[in-house]
Amino acid sequence: MDLTSKLRRFLPPQNNSDTDSRQTACDLDSLLHGQEVDTPFGPCYVIEETWPLAKRHGHWTLREVIETEYRSLDLYGHPCDNFDLHRALFLDTETTGLAGGTGTYAFLVGLGFFTPSHFVVKQLLMRDYNEELALLYLLDQEIQTKDTIISFNGKTFDLPLLQTRFTISRLGLAGTREKRHVDLLHMARRLWKQKLQSCSLTSLETHILGVKRVGDIPGYEIPGRYFEFLQTRDGTLLQDIVKHNVIDIVSMSTLLYRLQTTAELPPEECDCSYEAEAIAHLSFHSRKPRLALKYLEAAAQLSSDDEQYLRISRNAAAILKRLGQYERALPIWKRILEIAPDDLSTAEELAKYYEHRTKDLTSAEQITRRALAVAWQSRSPKTSALEHRLRRLERKTHARTAP
Amino acid sequence: MSVGVESVLQKIESNPRFMNNVTFRHTIPAEPGVYEPIPDFLPVKLQELLRRKGIEALYSHQAAALHEVRDGKDIVVVTPTASGKTLCYNLPVITTLLANEEARALYLFPTKALAQDQVAELMVWSDELGGKIKTYTYDGDTPGDARIAIRSAGSIVVTNPDMLHSGILPHHTKWMRLFENLKYVVIDELHIYRGVFGSHVANVLRRLERICKFYGASPQFICTSATIANPQEHGEALLGRSVTVIDKNGAPRGQKDIMFYNPPVVNKPLGIRRSSLLEAEAVAHELIAAKIPTIVFTRSRLNTEVLVTYLRKSFQKLGEPHETIRAYRGGYLPKQRREIERDLRAGKVLGVVSTNALELGIDIGTLQAAVLTGYPGTIASTWQQLGRAGRTDQPSLAVLVANSSPLNQFIIQNPSYFIDKGAEYARINPNNLYILVSHLKCAAFELPFAVGENFGEVDPAEILDYLADQMILRKVEDRWYWMSENYPAVDVSLRSASTENFAIIDTTDGKTRVIGEIDRFSAPMLVHEGAIYIHESAQYHIDKLDWDRQKAYAREVDVDYYTDANLDVELKVLDVFEHEELPQVKRNWGEVMVVAKTHMYKKIKFYTHENIGWGNISLPEQELHTTAYWFSVPKEKVENLDRGALQSALVGASHLLGNIASLELMCEPSDLGVTAQIRSPFTGDPTVYIYEKYPGGVGFSEQLFEAHGRLLWRALSIIKKCPCPSGCPSCVGPVEEVGVEGKTHTSWFLKGVLEHGSNQQTEEILTPTE
Repeated sequence: MDLTSKLRRFLPPQNNSDTDSRQTACDLDSLLHGQEVDTPFGPCYVIEETWPLAKRHGHWTLREVIETEYRSLDLYGHPCDNFDLHRALFLDTETTGLAGGTGTYAFLVGLGFFTPSHFVVKQLLMRDYNEELALLYLLDQEIQTKDTIISFNGKTFDLPLLQTRFTISRLGLAGTREKRHVDLLHMARRLWKQKLQSCSLTSLETHILGVKRVGDIPGYEIPGRYFEFLQTRDGTLLQDIVKHNVIDIVSMSTLLYRLQTTAELPPEECDCSYEAEAIAHLSFHSRKPRLALKYLEAAAQLSSDDEQYLRISRNAAAILKRLGQYERALPIWKRILEIAPDDLSTAEELAKYYEHRTKDLTSAEQITRRALAVAWQSRSPKTSALEHRLRRLERKTHARTAP
Repeated sequence: MSVGVESVLQKIESNPRFMNNVTFRHTIPAEPGVYEPIPDFLPVKLQELLRRKGIEALYSHQAAALHEVRDGKDIVVVTPTASGKTLCYNLPVITTLLANEEARALYLFPTKALAQDQVAELMVWSDELGGKIKTYTYDGDTPGDARIAIRSAGSIVVTNPDMLHSGILPHHTKWMRLFENLKYVVIDELHIYRGVFGSHVANVLRRLERICKFYGASPQFICTSATIANPQEHGEALLGRSVTVIDKNGAPRGQKDIMFYNPPVVNKPLGIRRSSLLEAEAVAHELIAAKIPTIVFTRSRLNTEVLVTYLRKSFQKLGEPHETIRAYRGGYLPKQRREIERDLRAGKVLGVVSTNALELGIDIGTLQAAVLTGYPGTIASTWQQLGRAGRTDQPSLAVLVANSSPLNQFIIQNPSYFIDKGAEYARINPNNLYILVSHLKCAAFELPFAVGENFGEVDPAEILDYLADQMILRKVEDRWYWMSENYPAVDVSLRSASTENFAIIDTTDGKTRVIGEIDRFSAPMLVHEGAIYIHESAQYHIDKLDWDRQKAYAREVDVDYYTDANLDVELKVLDVFEHEELPQVKRNWGEVMVVAKTHMYKKIKFYTHENIGWGNISLPEQELHTTAYWFSVPKEKVENLDRGALQSALVGASHLLGNIASLELMCEPSDLGVTAQIRSPFTGDPTVYIYEKYPGGVGFSEQLFEAHGRLLWRALSIIKKCPCPSGCPSCVGPVEEVGVEGKTHTSWFLKGVLEHGSNQQTEEILTPTE
């Protein structure tokens, strides 16, 4: 028995549609509007689309995007000194799989950048595996003209994958190695993780950017679609992928804009309690507690959700306490206990305040007794601490009343 | 304190109950060491360190290893347990690393425990040498942030083949520093990599070589192995390159007394002997009571626990503290192990109970006696376990306590097989089509294949083309690229013979614990609903078989019957690879399709062998495409046997040969299936087939084809030596299967097959055993 028939028997063909190997080698240029570009490593296919700055994408125009100064992005924990959008490159890859590892290829790399008059989306496509070197060569040329890469989830996905491709190519190219990298996903999560269930780009487009995709290809279908293209050379299979990638790139630009403008939004202009709360949190971590308080106040006013309101109040009171502004914290603690009488931590704070600040032992004892009743009922782990506190208060009261 | 092994021996010898069960004794005399000076070419720092550690000279094999590696050879060091094998690789590696900080070494150990043990030792060395040599383990437990440091800074990366296969090679770009600077690959316990596991590992090494080549490295291989019969051949098959074998042991050794102990028969019809676990406990008790530091090996973790409990109880009665007996598990950290060792030296611990996983090179110091609960399955493992007791210059004792299985009984009744033969052959078949194709996929994922590129000795073009046809790869110009979303390494497990084993779960008293595993192919026979499954001399009733989830639920029972399922095996020969025709026998090996179906089972009463009931089994038919060895006897040669007698002879021969074959092959009996046909549709004659249960086979069939005569002769000698009257599970199988004349029929049949064989060969086989 020869090897091939043996293989056929040992590893029977998966009945996927290998019947469909029609060669519809159609004209890519007319479908994708790109052109072949030669490199020292052979050709690769480049699609270039220019968007006038007046063009609107969702809520904003590209002119708004480029004419903004990006000086507040460090609110999101990314140091962005000397960030200049003119020297930045948006980057998003489409790959042959999500598993990672050395057998995953980036077959389409989308790049976005601003020229004085336009926003340009340039896409590098390998029409087959033998065009990978040319793709990487062109990609490296583009990267080296800029100083910053902007991606969405590039830290864990796109950049390591491209670095692997560069390593395997052995072209000795630096790729993204020495470039500053801004990952918008990480920033978006800091701002919207309370507001949105998912911080995927599609979810952000729907809820934040006002972008509606029509007939978009789901990401998980992309590798299969590309493999089918390789078999059939049917360029229509790529049209959706190319379009998908363009929107990814352009949406990144307005997402960046939105992140910047929100970071500079004064508290009184906030219109979303979750955003205000998130900015408060980020401001506090940027060592701006007074600013954080302002955002918390705004958030509290906008909030219509009890749980959130309590969270905001507790945070505000905690900041006030740290600032030593007990007289401002006091009404907030009282308010919290009105809404949530079972909030033992706040009861503790209040008891501490009366005991140590105003030496009002009666109020401290009263609050502790109420809290203890709740604690006994709910078998809270705080019970023993509260019991301890009560005993101490009783002792102090006794000492005070005793002659 | 310690009474000493000699006086314990005297005591044992004067105990008739004990000595009646000792079937064999053997004394290996003490031998002095052979030493060589520490070579001058070792860095002065390293020489000084050796002297600080009290090493003034090297054993001859250590020195030989150093010289061969210096000459650029790839080596395999084959010496017994506790002969200082680690120095054979650590000295050359450290020498290179001290001279070149960028240099890297990769150590492969078969288990995580061994890897951790090794790293602990290397770290001590590194500290004493100034801390420049960074050693790390890289396995499934390594935390994410540590991984990054290991990839760039680890001078010695210690891992296992599984991790290399699924974690390192598919991400080789992250390991660029390692691969670009790789000077040595160290493979410890080479003999473990045999059969299916070895066949996989050989392919992982082919992939490693490919990646090294890509990064411009050509590392040297330094391997160590327990004693096997064919270290050269095995090393070369596994590494795909020629190797230099160093097998002259220079380490001294003390006198060693070996005893084979066969527990008395307690159930004659089933040939079941008293539990080896209980007997081992008795033996261990004797030794520990005499203050001899003793290690007891068991064959499972569960047995380890049981034995520790038993021994502790009996010593508590004697007023000994709890800690006298310690379990010793693979998962223990080096620190815990050092503690046990310290307590052993201090005499606080006297008994250590361990699973046989620890036969592998972990050093636990000063033991004077070893008790083996059951034959470990191979001669190599047995020597390793026996070697755990007795350091360089002290006398020691080792007792092998047999169980009822045919393999154990063969060993116990044929001690010369064990003593004279030395060790088994380790075999692999890296070109098993399933295994090869799996790894070609992984390799293509790692780097595209170029036309004309070889994979080991294989030209993979045809297979790659096939995979391209299947749209798993894509061929463009002169290369094949990976064209799938999947990460192929996750689908390939290096260890499991059949990837789908069934777990047998004991649910007695509402608890659930796994008591055993069984391959998919045997499951319908042995764990169908209603089956009585015998495990460690206890009976279990199978209440439920969950076929899809591969679980059998069992409950301990005490019944007076056993079950016997009828397995209908249809075997079709697809292709003959080799055959030999003699007047009295035709033997072959080739490719077969096995279709097995179990329809019903019988309940058979003990002693009377009455058939007291039966039940239906409705489980799916099973297909297995594999390789087999078979022999047939021309029907005119067996004309004087009536059909019943011939049937009985074939059943007996099948039973026997299945067990002998696994002995010959160093594999588990469950890796093989045996079936016989009175009139084979393929040969037209009475035929016995032994087939491999791993799809595609791993080379066992070819080996059996070559071993044919030896196999039959051994079978015959077992029949002759078995004390049972007409057949038992230790020889031709239970009487109720082979009939009262089973032994006679079987031996007549086997003699017929052997009779006209090459006389010279027969004599050769005859001499050692007779």
